[in-house]
Order: sequence, then C-alpha cells, then structure tokens
Amino acid sequence: MSGSMTTPEDAKTVQEDRRSGGAGAKPLRRLFDLFSSVRFGIILLSILFVYCTIGSAGILYPIHPNLFHPDSWVHEQMRQWRFFEMTEFEWFHWWPFDVLMVLICTTLVVTTIRRIPLKPVNYGVWIIHTGVIVLCVGSVMYFGTKVEGDAPIVRRSMAITLVDPERPGEALATASLVAMPGNRAQMEHDGRAWNFDVLSIDPSWELLSGEDAGERTYSVNLLVDGPDGRFIRQLLAGYPEYTEDMVITEDPTQPMKRAIKEIGRTLVDDSIQVELDYESQGWFYLRNDLAKSFAVYLRKPGELDWVERPIHGMPLYNDYLSSEDDAWLFPGGPPPVDPLDITVSAVSPDDPAPGMDIRITGYLRYAMTRTRYKAGPSTAPINPMAWLTLSSTDGASQQYQLSAMDPRGRTGDNGLVAFRFVQDQQQLESLRQPPSLTFQVEGIDGDMNMIIDDVQAANPALEFTPVGDSGYSYRVIAVQDDIILSERVASVAIIEIKTPGEETIRRWVFSDPSLTRDVTDQMLEDPTGHSGPTLLDETITVSYQPGSGNSLLMLVAGPDPNQLRLLDALDSMGQAEARVQPISVGVPVPLSSGSLSLLLTEYLPRAVQQSRPVIAPPEQRNRDARELFSQVQVRVPGNDPVWLEYHQYPFRDRSELLRRQVYNPSLLRLEDGTKVELMFSRQRLPLPTGIALEEFILTTHQGGYTGQAGSIRNYTSMIRFMTDAGWTNPVPVSVNEPVEWGGYSYFQSQWDPPEPARFEGDRASMGLNYTVLGVGNRHGVWTQLAGCIIATIGMIYAFYIKPIIKRRQRLEHAQPRPGGTS
Amino acid sequence: MTGFGRVASLLLALLIAPSAAMAQQQTFIEQVDLEPIESLAVQVDGRLKSFGSHANTLMSVVSGSRSINEQSPSFTYMDMMLRPNAYEDADIVYVKNKLVRNKIADALLMEDPTLGDRIEAFRETGLVSPMLLNRPSAQELVEVLSRDLIRTASSVDAINGALIVREPAFLLDRMRIVPPAVEGETAPWQSLSGIALMDASAYADHDPSDIAAITETWMGLVEAWNTHDPDAVNQSMATLATQLQELSPDVYPETGRLSWESWYFNQKSMTWVWLIYMLSVILLLLGMVYRWPPARWAGLGVFLIAFGLHTFSILLRWYIADRWPNSNMFEAVTTAAWFGGCLAIVMELIARRTAMHGIFALGSAMASMVALMAARFLPLYLDPNISNKMPVLHDIWLYIHTNVIIFSYCLIFMAAVSAGLYLLRRLFGGSADYVRAGGAGALILRGTTSTPDALADTDNASLGQVLDGVTMLLMELSFVLLWAGIAMGAIWADHSWGRPWGWDPKEVFALNTFIIFALLIHVRLKVRDKGLWTAWLALLGCLVMLFNWIVINFVITGLHSYA
Repeated sequence: MSGSMTTPEDAKTVQEDRRSGGAGAKPLRRLFDLFSSVRFGIILLSILFVYCTIGSAGILYPIHPNLFHPDSWVHEQMRQWRFFEMTEFEWFHWWPFDVLMVLICTTLVVTTIRRIPLKPVNYGVWIIHTGVIVLCVGSVMYFGTKVEGDAPIVRRSMAITLVDPERPGEALATASLVAMPGNRAQMEHDGRAWNFDVLSIDPSWELLSGEDAGERTYSVNLLVDGPDGRFIRQLLAGYPEYTEDMVITEDPTQPMKRAIKEIGRTLVDDSIQVELDYESQGWFYLRNDLAKSFAVYLRKPGELDWVERPIHGMPLYNDYLSSEDDAWLFPGGPPPVDPLDITVSAVSPDDPAPGMDIRITGYLRYAMTRTRYKAGPSTAPINPMAWLTLSSTDGASQQYQLSAMDPRGRTGDNGLVAFRFVQDQQQLESLRQPPSLTFQVEGIDGDMNMIIDDVQAANPALEFTPVGDSGYSYRVIAVQDDIILSERVASVAIIEIKTPGEETIRRWVFSDPSLTRDVTDQMLEDPTGHSGPTLLDETITVSYQPGSGNSLLMLVAGPDPNQLRLLDALDSMGQAEARVQPISVGVPVPLSSGSLSLLLTEYLPRAVQQSRPVIAPPEQRNRDARELFSQVQVRVPGNDPVWLEYHQYPFRDRSELLRRQVYNPSLLRLEDGTKVELMFSRQRLPLPTGIALEEFILTTHQGGYTGQAGSIRNYTSMIRFMTDAGWTNPVPVSVNEPVEWGGYSYFQSQWDPPEPARFEGDRASMGLNYTVLGVGNRHGVWTQLAGCIIATIGMIYAFYIKPIIKRRQRLEHAQPRPGGTS
Repeated sequence: MTGFGRVASLLLALLIAPSAAMAQQQTFIEQVDLEPIESLAVQVDGRLKSFGSHANTLMSVVSGSRSINEQSPSFTYMDMMLRPNAYEDADIVYVKNKLVRNKIADALLMEDPTLGDRIEAFRETGLVSPMLLNRPSAQELVEVLSRDLIRTASSVDAINGALIVREPAFLLDRMRIVPPAVEGETAPWQSLSGIALMDASAYADHDPSDIAAITETWMGLVEAWNTHDPDAVNQSMATLATQLQELSPDVYPETGRLSWESWYFNQKSMTWVWLIYMLSVILLLLGMVYRWPPARWAGLGVFLIAFGLHTFSILLRWYIADRWPNSNMFEAVTTAAWFGGCLAIVMELIARRTAMHGIFALGSAMASMVALMAARFLPLYLDPNISNKMPVLHDIWLYIHTNVIIFSYCLIFMAAVSAGLYLLRRLFGGSADYVRAGGAGALILRGTTSTPDALADTDNASLGQVLDGVTMLLMELSFVLLWAGIAMGAIWADHSWGRPWGWDPKEVFALNTFIIFALLIHVRLKVRDKGLWTAWLALLGCLVMLFNWIVINFVITGLHSYA
C-alpha cells in the first residue's frame, strides 16, 4: 500500500522489479521477487475481495434465459452448501483464507522492506503497512483464542424444606425450583406429598409497611398443595421476615385472605420452609453462529448433573437423513437422504457410559416431532382411523381425521360427524337410533320412550314434557356423550324431573345405569364427594340410550374391521332412524341433504401411531429461529435410532426450566440393561466464578413498556460475582456497558419479556425473571486497535503530509543557491 | 310530470347524487382546518409526537406512500375513524409485493370476472379495498401465502397490519392524546376510547368536569364531521386542542415543536429540495462542460440555496427528534448527503482559484439530489417517520462511527460522479489525462512546478486532469475516513456485541469497499492509463458501497439491520 504518490523512487523500484525476474535468478531470489511484486499484491487483494464477497453475500446465478425477470435468479449462500456447512466465522478462518492472509502479509512485509526506501517521503507507506501487520498480528491473537457464548441467569430459586417443628434444624425432605411462573415441583415424605406451583411473580413489588415501606422488591407467590390443604405463600427477596401465607376462602369477593387475619398466625404450615436464594450460574454455552458447538449430554436416570460429549464435524444448515422413513417429508421436497456418520465418544471420567460410543446418523435443521398414523400389520390390534372430506355443491369443504377407538378423537365439528367401531349388528342398530330416554314409573305398566329433540341449553324457554299420565314431567338440560371418566367412557343426559308434588329433581342419567344419580346444589358445592341417597325419588327411573348422539353423520366400522358403513341422519336432523349406506375409499357418497357429499380419502383398520420429525419446507422456516428447531438422530447400541430435540440450554430438571425454553430428555436402555438419559444441546465452558442476578431493570421511554421495542430505553442486569468473601455488590451490565471479570467480558444479551399464559395450565408472566448475558474473551483487541491507529496515521501522512514535505523540498530547490543561479 | 319526465328526473338525480356527494366531500376537505389537531401531542411507543406525524405513520401502514383521494394523512385518519363505512369498499390498502398483488388480483378476478377494471387498477397502483380483501377467494389465498416465510409472508403481514390499522377502534385507541394528570416517566397518555364510550373512569386522575367538557367537544366533533359541517368541525377541533393542552399544562410538551413537526411532515420531510439540487446540477454541468462561468456561478448559487434548505431540514429534524438525525436509513441517507454538501463548500473555498472549482459542488449536488429523490420516492424503504432509538444505539459511538462512515460513503459517491464524468469524457474522445501528484497532493503542490505534476491555478489543466484530480482527492479522503470509521465501528462493536469484528455482512462489505480503494491505489502505480483505471475502480467502489447500503440492508440482514 504505497498511496497515490508516484515518485521517481517508485519508478525506480518498478524497474528493479522488472530486472529481478531474470531467468538466471535463484529460486529463493525468485520467491523474494514474487513477494515484492506489486502485481502479485494486487492479485492477492483481488482474491481477498472475491473471497469476502462470496463468503458474506453468497452467489447469484441465473436459472432462466430471461435475465430481467426476478424469478430468473437464485441467490445462495455458498458457505452453507453441504460441502462447506460453515458459519461466517468458520468461512473466514478456513485454511484458504488463512493462506491468503499469510501471503498478503508476507507480500506487504517483503515489498516494504525491499522496495520502499525508508525516508521521510515514504514514512506514510511504511506506517500504513506497519499498521496493517500489527492489525493482522492482533487478529491472530484475537481470533485464535476467541470463545463466545451466553449464560442464562435466573433471578431467584426457591429452596423448600420440610422440617419437624419440634426439631427445626433437621430437614425431613427438600425440593427446589426456579422462580418462574408456571414452574412446579413435588416433595414427598412418609407417604405424604406436597405440590408446589409458582402462581405469579411481581418483579417490582412495593413494600407497604415496615421500615422499608415504599421500597420495591421481587415477590413470588407459591401455591402449596399439601395433605392438609392448599395455601399461597408470598416470598419477598431480601425480606424473609415478611414471608406470609394467604388462605383460600369461600368468599367470592375476596378469594384470598392473609393468614394472619384469617387464622391468627402468619404461616399456615410452619413445617414447610421456603427461602428465596440466588441461582448461581457456573457455565456459559458456546454459540453455534460463531463456530458449530453442538454437544450431547448424558446422565443416569435420577441424577441431576449432565456430562457433556462434544460433537465434532456436525453440519448446521442442511438436512441429513439415513433413509426416507426417518422423517415425515414435506410434499414436493426432495428427500435429503444423505446419512451422517459422526462418532461421539466419552471425554469425561464422569461419563455414565464411558465405553459406549454414540453415532450421529441424521440432522434436521428445522423440524418438529409429530405423531401420524400408518397401516399396521395384520397382527396389530384393531384401531380404525378414517380421513373424510365433506363437500358442498358451492365448493366449500371440510376435512376430518377420526379415530374410532379414541373417545377424544372420534368426533368432529362438536360431534356432528363421528366414527365408531361396532362388535355386532345390534350395536349398529342401536347407533342408528336418535338419542332417547326411557322412563319407568312405579304403578304404570310399560316403558315410555322419549326421543331427545330439544335441550334447555339451546332453548332456555323449554317447557316440561309430561311422562305419559304418570303426573311426572321432565325436560332435558344438557346432553354430553363420550365423557371420559376415571376408568370408562360414558354418555350422560342431565334432566330435570318435576314430581306430581311439584318438586323438581335434577337427575344425571348415564348410559351406564349404575352411574345415574340425582344431584342437588349442595352436592355440587361439596367437592369432596356426594353424600345422601343416590336417587331422591325412586318411583321414577330413567335410562339413557345415546344412539347416534349428537352426530348427523356417523361412519361405522365392524364387526369386520374392513367393513364400513355410513349412517346418515341429515334429512331428519337426527330425529329419526339414520339411513345406512356402504362407503369405501375414494368413492364420494351423496348425502341425504342433497347438497353435500362425503368422501372417505383414507382408511386404516389397524392404524399404528408413529412419531417422527416433520421437516419444515424451506419457505416456512423462520430464519431468526436459527438452530432452535434442529434435531439429531443418534444411534446407541441396543436401541433403535432416536431423534433428540435441540435444547438451547441443558436444564437439569423441569423445575429449572426458563420461559420459552424446552426440556425434553430422552431415556434409553443400553445393551447391558442400564439406562441413560440423553439431551442434545451446546458445548459449555465453566465461568471463572459463579454469577447471580440481583435484579433486572427495564428502563423505558415515557409511558412505560407498551410491548413494542420502541418503548424500551435500556436493559440492565444487576449481577453479583462469587468471590472468596462471598457475593460482590451488584454490578450493572447494560447495553453498550459490559463488565470485565475473570478474563471474560459480560454483555447484556437477552431478557425475559412479559407474556400471557401460553397454554392451558400455564401462568401469565410479568417477565424480568431472568437475563441472558453474552460471555466472551477479547485477547488481542488492543493490538488490533493499535494497528488501526497506526495505519490511520500513515494514511494521513501519505496523503497530506508527504505532499507538504515535497512542496517544501521543491520550493527549497527552486530558491537560488548562494553564489549561484536558480 | 309525465312518466317519462319522472324517469328522466330520477336518472338525473342518480347521476348527480354521487358527484354532488363527492363535491361536498371535496368542499369539506378544503374547508376543514386541521392545524389545531395536527399539532396535538400523541404518545406513541414512548415518544410524544404531533398528531400530524402520527397520522403520517399510521396512514403509511395502510396505504404506503399513496395518498387517498389526495387527502392529507391527518384528514384520512380522522375520516377513516369517524366514517369507516366510506372506506369499506374504497381502494385504500396498499399491496407492495407485486407477486402477492398479482396472485390476489388473479384470485379475485376468477371469483368475480366483473371486477376487471378495478383489478387492473389494483395491479397498477397496488391499492385494493378491504371489502375485496375480505372476499373468500382472497382470504384463502392470503392464508396460503402467509405460510411462505421467504417470499410472501411479510407482505401478508403488511396487508393484515393495514386491515387492523384502518379499523376505527384501532385508530381511536392509538389516538393517545389525553395527557396524564401528573408528570412521570412511566405515566401513560390515554386514548380517546374512554371519552368516545362516555367512560370517565378511564381518566380518574383528572377533574371530572374537564373530562366532561372534552367529551362534549368530542361528541360535537364527531357529529359535525359526519354531517360535513366544516365550521362546527373547525370550532370543535380548536376547542379540543385547547382543552387537552390545558388539561395538564405541566405535562404537555412545547406546542412549538409539535407544530414544526406537523409542518415538517406536511412538507414530506422537505425532500422536494431534490428539485433545486437538480437545477444546480444542470447549471454546474453547463458551467463545467462549456467552461461557462455564468452558468457555474448560477449553479453554485442554486446549490447554496438547496444546501441551505437541506441544512434547515436536517436541523429541524434534529429539533423535532431531539437527537442528531442518523439513526435510521432515511436519516443516514439524507444526513450523509448533507455531509457531502459541507465538504463541497469547504473544498470550493479551498480550490476556488483552481480548475477544480465547481466540481465538488456538482458532485455534492448530484449526491444530494439522488439521496433526496430516494427518500422522496421510496418511503417504504427509507421510512421518514421519527421513532425512538433502539437501546443499542444510545452510545456516543453512534455519532462518531456512523457519521464518519456515512460521510465517507457520500465522498465515495461524489468521487464516482467525477469518475463517471471522466469516463464520459473519454467516451467522447477525451485524452488519457491524469494528475500525477494524486488528489490532495495536486492541490498542495500547485505552483511548485511548471510540469503537470499538479493542477495549475490557471485554466491550463485539462478537464481530464481536473476530473481525475477531484476523484483522487475525494477517494483519498474517503479512504482515510472509511478505514477510521470501520475501526471506530469495531471499538463500538467490541463493547456492544462483545466482538470488534464478527464478519457481519455489513462489516465485510465495508471492508470490501476499502479493498477496492486499496486496489485502486496500487493499480494506479502499475498501469499506464491511470485516469481510466482510477475512474473504473472508483465506480466499482461506489457500486460496492451502494450494494452494502441497499442489498445488504434490505436482503441480507445481519446485526446492522437497523442501520
């Protein structure tokens, strides 16, 4: 790099350049000449440009002669091809790049020394080249030692201890769980069990009384469900003296009351001791986007600590399958059959199966495990599955997947479409009938069969219907078929019976008469069980025949599992006997309504379930998800291949799970009969010291957090480091303000945002329960910086100071010499 | 009246009624004075902005850069909120992605072939009505397109976003113009939803009589708007503005800033200044090509006017946003061009006695013209709306690194302008001239020799030498600034992301741009036709820089995706 200053000296060196390439030069001389050639330097820089462009932007190539159409061009990241499978970091540290940089540096050094005389007009070039070499040396130091990862740190965990109040120092049982809404744990002792459930967390709870009134702290509400009842314990970080329980009351206006007011003491059960502790993090997990850093973790069942086995040679971007049967493929996509064969051996003396190698034979970048049905062998149990399409003449259609043996999966559209298996013709006839009630009243001969054609749930003004001349009348409140009870499936019609004495009885009439009973309001309020007589009025007995139930279309298989019939009650809207017609796969059946037809698209009489990963089509992959949805197929001796889902962090237990993370270890039995658990995650490195999160502070713009990123001003983790003297004082780590400790820098990386409950049984979260810090080293950055500064000084010198020097020299030469002429 | 007469009258009335309604609407638009309401403060995602600015943002979500019936965004916002039925079947939703646009058009046409003309207009303008989008064929298609995350999902998200934003309940909810009773960092402003629903409990901290008065005014405004009574609307809006400002005077922001903000957005962020820059480009080109001093002086004069307006727009945006404008693409592009203008003025002063004079202004005028045209005509890419900075941008290095880098980018563009002119000159038979002493060297060494080592301060230098000299001078400066800017970015990245260099695409292409200029310097040493090689490599460097700013930002996203 010699600037734009073409001087006579430069011209001279060019001539030297030409001379030095003579035929008689020695090989070493020729080599020196090559490395002092500006042309060679230009070629190397051009190659560097191309290498950088391909590695960073990828390549663009046409696939159609019409080059002006946007669909004629394909853009691909070459480094992500199967042959390469490289991250940006890996591409720029591959051996061709290293060789190229060595050649460039060598050329720079040799050219500078051999061809640029060290004198004031050339100082600029020398300084620039020196700066570049210093930068390269710094970069070797930096990138040669670089590690980078991230460490999740939870704000608090809970240590739960069961103590004997008479011997408080002795722990009878213990449990722990991370403070995260929805996290649960269980503790058992002496045949009794306690369940703990984090109900809610307020990260900024205001103390209302005491010396610290007005201060804010971290508050956790823990639901304790024990043998003696349920209560909620409120724990305040830093204020154990304010721990108190709340009892659940029957007062709807105040469902919870402070125990001190309700029972006169702060704690409902002082044998349960719960403390909020720091959750020390001792590891950080290497980032796959720097260099691929996958690992498999193993442990024996019942143990908590995982033992790591690093995986070397893993792909990252493409799918690899051993066979097409290993995954559910997406339609139209080529099956990525291209097996891997990576052996993962034990590296730790603590490995639970040190002699057992694990083989990685498949990898999927973006897949989710799904269970699907396939045809089972003739010896498989009968398990009829049907796939139906209901179409109307106006083009609308609806698909159903029905399982005759599964009470939860045998109906569609709230029961309007159903699928059943019958053992005999009598069952089929029974299913053809509309649902009905049969009444018997003492003193009146014969049964009275009444079809259920209206229920009060749909018709609030439903009148009572007389039961013949018995003086009784009834109305149907609700009907529910296929209720799953503890050990059986039953249907129920809930009816109200008005007696001749104008008394109203609510009776739950089950399809199984042994379950039928009268239910009073008092019974409904008593959650512990029903007391009193089963039937309040035994003069009248009722039975319920569900028949076709709520369904208007019912597919029936059996008694031969290959025999299929369709019961069609559309024309009578379920109020009359259903029409029976045969149905077979692929043949549309016109329905009695006239405008609808039904097509059985697939039928499996002995379906078996199979779980496999579903490969997401490329266009449905969210690229921000990176490797979050990846899976590996592992083969362990004595086991069928098994797919392991990727875990961002190898949590030890579900009670340690962070929000938005997964915990799904796989249990395998080895050839020797022992069992191991496996988890697919990232490699980890120990932190120099334990780190705890005191507090997470979200600073917002005016108006507070609105759910939009634009309302956030800053994220700050107040962290503590463990020292021999205990925890340090809290140190803030915020955006653009990292902290150095023990040879690593700690950066604010991710946070825990508020979110509502995500699924049934989940708890809403106010967030701020954990932080994720980036962790990395930075050896050589000062050398890199020095190189940049030196080069900058050289540029200024070469472009602006050198011309000034030359100007002075020329003006000096232009001045008349003493005693001479100019 | 005869039967024929009755039928004729009815037909006439049917013909006149829509046009009369349209005329009435037009008159209403012209007579409504939106100024009081445009200058109201609205709290949006942690920022207090003017209602005019807020309306501009939300209406661009619905209709992109298209204006609806030539109405101002504020008028459309109010009208859409208060008369939603009028927009149900109006073509207001902008579909930017042409692939998605054509697929929706095909589906609608297949469902209803009578829509021919409307669908053709939709294909051309990209605007379609919510009613058409809610047809089953369009809905089914949109559902399918939403699954293609690579090509169409983001466009479907934009359509769904537009359909949500145009809902009156959404517009009302986002009109958070009721200030809190007490000042506080986290005190949120309230929307008018409570007032519209006559629910005073939403404003429990305020004096109920104040809320009752605002409610009455609002109801009057709604009624007047629906009856197209401009006088009553104007009176209600003025009263509402006063009432809101007086509700919590300590909390309410300075109204002057809000008025300027509203004015700024009504002026389309003053991007029309590109026209003045274009005029200066024409005059300066005439001056340069024909060596015609009056044209050059006129060009310089127009350039100064344009630069003055450009400076005003930058300063105004700084005042409105309360921060130096370099935090998004719009600001980076317009501020970069302004930096180029500053340098051009300095260089014009330094080189006023050389043959270089006028060319720096020409390069800068061209750069500013292109920058402001891009900002004017590509608002969906260069979003002019002002928002809060992301947390990572709250750092002193944003001002150091970013400004140095964008300054160097503008210099690279200006160098490409002079290089392009050099190539044009060569194309038309110009000789292979170049300046031997480089760029800055040519200026510094002038007067020290009679040889063409440097540009003479007379008109002896050829145009080729002048253009080559300007290219080299700008390239040298951008070379230093780009290198320093990259190094400064590394310092920032080191303490922000944990690594000074992460091989992020934006970093790599900044390095690539630098490599091109390093090649230029070394190639210039070795080749005979130095001027030609310099010009081509300067153009290549500019292309790589533009690739970095356009393709890398919008196609290959990385850590710098906000830049």
